Amino acid sequence: MRAAAIPASAWPSVPPAAIALLFPLTLLALWSISAHFGWLPPQILPSPGEVWAALLDLARSGDLARNTGISLLRVVEGFAAGSFLGLLLGIAMGLSPKIEDYVKPLFTAFAQVPTLGWIPFLMLLVGIGEPLKVLVIAKAAFVPVALNTLSGIRAVPPIYAEVGALFRFSRWQLLQKVVLPAAVPPIFTGLRYGLTHAWNALVAVELLASAEGLGYLLVWGRQMFWLDTMMGAMLIIGVVGFLLDRIMATCEARLQRWRLA
Amino acid sequence: MMIRGAVLPILLLAAWELTSHSGTVDPRILPPLEFVAQTAFDQVVHEGLLRNLAASLLRDIAGFTLGSLLGIAVGTTLGLSRIADRLFMPSFNGLRQIAILAWIPLISIWFGVGEAAKIVFIMAAAFIPVVLNTHEGMRSASTQLIEVARTLTFTRWQLVTRLYLPSALPSIATGVHLALIYAWVASIGSEYFMTIGPGIGGLIIAGRERFQMDLVMLGILILGLVGFLINRGASAIEKRLLRWQQA
Amino acid sequence: MIQRRALLATLAATTVARANEPVTIRFGFANVGVDNRQYSGGNFLAVAHAEHYIESELKDLPGVKIEYAFFKGAGPAVNEAFANGQLDFASQGDLPQIIARANGLKTRQLAAGGAHAPMYLAVPPDSDIHTIKDLKGRKVALFRGTNNHLAAVKVLAANGMTERDFQGINMDEASANAALATRNIDAAFGNYGVLLLTEKGLARIAYSTKGQDPAFERQSTLIAADSFVANHPDLTQRVVTAVVKAAYWSSQEENREALFDIWARSGRPTSVYRDDFANQSLKYRNSPLIDDYLINAYRVQAQQAKEYGLIRREVSIDGWFDAQFLNVALKQLNLEHFWPHYGADGKPQT
Repeated sequence: MRAAAIPASAWPSVPPAAIALLFPLTLLALWSISAHFGWLPPQILPSPGEVWAALLDLARSGDLARNTGISLLRVVEGFAAGSFLGLLLGIAMGLSPKIEDYVKPLFTAFAQVPTLGWIPFLMLLVGIGEPLKVLVIAKAAFVPVALNTLSGIRAVPPIYAEVGALFRFSRWQLLQKVVLPAAVPPIFTGLRYGLTHAWNALVAVELLASAEGLGYLLVWGRQMFWLDTMMGAMLIIGVVGFLLDRIMATCEARLQRWRLA
Repeated sequence: MMIRGAVLPILLLAAWELTSHSGTVDPRILPPLEFVAQTAFDQVVHEGLLRNLAASLLRDIAGFTLGSLLGIAVGTTLGLSRIADRLFMPSFNGLRQIAILAWIPLISIWFGVGEAAKIVFIMAAAFIPVVLNTHEGMRSASTQLIEVARTLTFTRWQLVTRLYLPSALPSIATGVHLALIYAWVASIGSEYFMTIGPGIGGLIIAGRERFQMDLVMLGILILGLVGFLINRGASAIEKRLLRWQQA
Repeated sequence: MIQRRALLATLAATTVARANEPVTIRFGFANVGVDNRQYSGGNFLAVAHAEHYIESELKDLPGVKIEYAFFKGAGPAVNEAFANGQLDFASQGDLPQIIARANGLKTRQLAAGGAHAPMYLAVPPDSDIHTIKDLKGRKVALFRGTNNHLAAVKVLAANGMTERDFQGINMDEASANAALATRNIDAAFGNYGVLLLTEKGLARIAYSTKGQDPAFERQSTLIAADSFVANHPDLTQRVVTAVVKAAYWSSQEENREALFDIWARSGRPTSVYRDDFANQSLKYRNSPLIDDYLINAYRVQAQQAKEYGLIRREVSIDGWFDAQFLNVALKQLNLEHFWPHYGADGKPQT
C-alpha cells in the first residue's frame, strides 16, 4: 500500500507522463539558454543542439550503428557464455550439496573480486582483443546467474520433491518438471542482474582497451574534448542498457504468465 | 565440510605452482607463488602498500559517506512527497540507466584532475542504491501505522522521524549495504580511469604495464579481501541495526 | 603634492604587498616518467623542473611556491586541468592546445618548448610492416588528442590514408609500450617513448618523421592560463626568464650528454634521448623562440586539425602568441641573437 506524508492535492488530474517530462524539459530549456548565453564555458557544456548534431553525424556516417552493433554483439556473446556456465554451476551446486561443498568457497572468493579487478589480469593473459571482452563480460554475468540459480533451487519447497516422489518421478523428471520450473523466477532475476552486470562490464572493458564500440566512442570523445560526442555516446549507452533490461523484463512477464497457466 | 571446500583451491594453487615452475609459461604471466609472496612482502615493507590501501579506503569512505547521506536525504524527500516523486523519479530512473562507468569521462572534464573528481564519482555510485532503497522503504510504510500516527496528531517532523524513518530502516540498510560495495568498486574504477594517485587500482595498472602478474595478483587479492570484509562488515551492521525489528 | 606622494606610496606598498602574497604556481607536464616517476624529459622545460630553475628565480619571493604535476593522460589531461582552473602553466603539445582553444579555453603561448620534434611508428622487430601503407586493417596504438595524433594523421594523409583505415586503439605511452612488447598490437605511433622498446630490442622503428617534410614535426610550448598572466605578470616574467635560462643551458652542445643524463631521471635511458636528438643540433630543438616558423606551424596545425575533423570549429591563432615576456627575458640575458629565427618555410632567416 502506497502512502505519502505530503499528499499531492494540487495535481489531481495531470497525467503522470506529463509530470515526468516536466523536469527533464525544464532542464533542457535551462541547458539551451545557458549554452546560448554562454553562462558556462562551452568546453564544460555544449548546447543540446550540438549533442543532437553530433549524434546525427554519428548516425549518418554509420559509426553509431557499427559501434552499437559491436558492443551489442560482445554483450550477447559474453552474456550467453557466462549465463550458460552460471546456470550449469548453479544447478549443480543447488542439486548436490556435495558439489556445493567443494565449489562454493572457491566460487565465493572468485566473486569477491569485482570485474574491474579481473580486467588487467585477463589483459595479461589473453591480450586486448575480442577474447578479452567476451571473457570479462562472461565473468560479469556468470556470478549473479550462478548465485541466483543456486538460491532459486535451494528455495524450492521440499513439498514439491515429496509430490514428485508420489508421482514416482525419476531424478531427471523431478528436475525437469518440478525443480526447474519452480526455480524459474529467481533464476530469471539472476539472468536480469547478469545482463545488467554484463552491460556495465562491456562499458568498463571498452573504456580500457578497445578499437570499437560505444565505450570506445566515449574515450575518443574524451581525448578530443568533444563533449557533444561524449554526451551522445552516454545517451546511447543509457538507451541500450534500458532496452536490454526491458527485453528481459518482458521475457520475465511472459514466463510468469506461462507458469501460472 | 571445510576440508571439501579447501580441495579445489589447493588443487588450483598446486597446478599453478607446477605450471609456473615447469617453464612452459612465461614466468611474468604466471609467476610462482613464492614470487607473489615476495612481492607482497616487498610492497608492504618497501613500497608503502598499506599507505596505498589507506589512500584507496579513505577515498572510498569519503565518497561513500557523502553519497549515502545525500542519498538518504533525497530518497526520503522523493519517497514522502508525491509531487517530488512524480517530478524527479522518472528523470532519476532515466539517468541511472547510463552505466556508471560511462560517467567517468564527463566527471573528469567537469571536475578536473584532482581527488574531487574521484570522490564525485564514488559519491554517485553510492548515491544511486541508497536513493532507490530509501525511496522504496519510505513508500512502503504501513498505512495502518500512518492512520494511527494521524489520529495521534503527529507533526510532520514526528511523522518522518518516528514513523517513516524507522519503518524504512530495513530498506535503507539494504541500500547502504549496496552502496558500500558499489563505492568500493567505484573507487577502484576512479583509480583506473582518472589521474593516477596513490591506491590499489594504481598498483594493478602498474602491474599490467610492467608485466608483473605478481603485482596484479597481489592487487586482486587485496581487492577481494577488502570486498569480502566490507560485505561482512555491512551485513553485521545491518543485522545489529535491525535487531529490534525481529523483537 | 602630498596627495600624489601618498598615492605613489600606497601604490608601491600594495605592489610590495602583492609581491609577498602567498601564491602557488601550478605547472603541469603533458607526460610522466616511466613507472609514474615525477619527471619529464625531452624538452628544456623538463630541465627547468629537474634543475629547479624556476625555484631559483623565485628565491627572493618567500610567499611564492611552485608545484609540479605530471599527467599520464598527456595533453588531454592537461586540458581537463586547465578547464577547471587547476593549472597556471604547462608544457603541452600543439594538438591538445588547439583543441582547447577550439573549445574556448583562454590561454596564452609564452615560448616554444620542444619545437621540431619527431614522431615515430614502432612495430615488433620481426613485423611485416615496413611502410605506413602496411598499416591497413592492423591494430595500431594511437594516443588521441596528443600532438603525436596530429602528426600521425598528417603522415597518414600524405599516404592517402585516414585513421579509419586501421583499428586505432587509444593508449597512453606506458600501455602502448606494454601492448607492443607483447604483440597485442601490430604498431604504435609515438614519440621518444617508443624508443624505450627499440633500445631493448622489443621493437623497431618502421617510420620516422625525422628528415621528412618539416610539416610533420610536432611542436610543444610553454602555455599559460590567461587569468594567471593577467593577475601576475611579474611572476609570469620570472617563470619565462627561468625557462629561457634552462633553454640556454640545454642548447649548448657541450652540455649534450649532461642534458640526456638529466632527462634520464624520467626513467628512460639516455640512449632514448640520444637517438631522438641524433643528427639534430640542440639549438634547433631547444630553442624557445616564437618565430615565424612556430607561428606558421601552429596556423597550419589549426587548419589541418579542422580539415581532418579533429576539431569542430575554426581556430584562429591570432593573439594567442605573446612574445613580450620572452623578449624581455632574451634582452635581460643578452640572448637576443643566440638562437636563429626560422621562417615559415622552415629555413633560417637572416
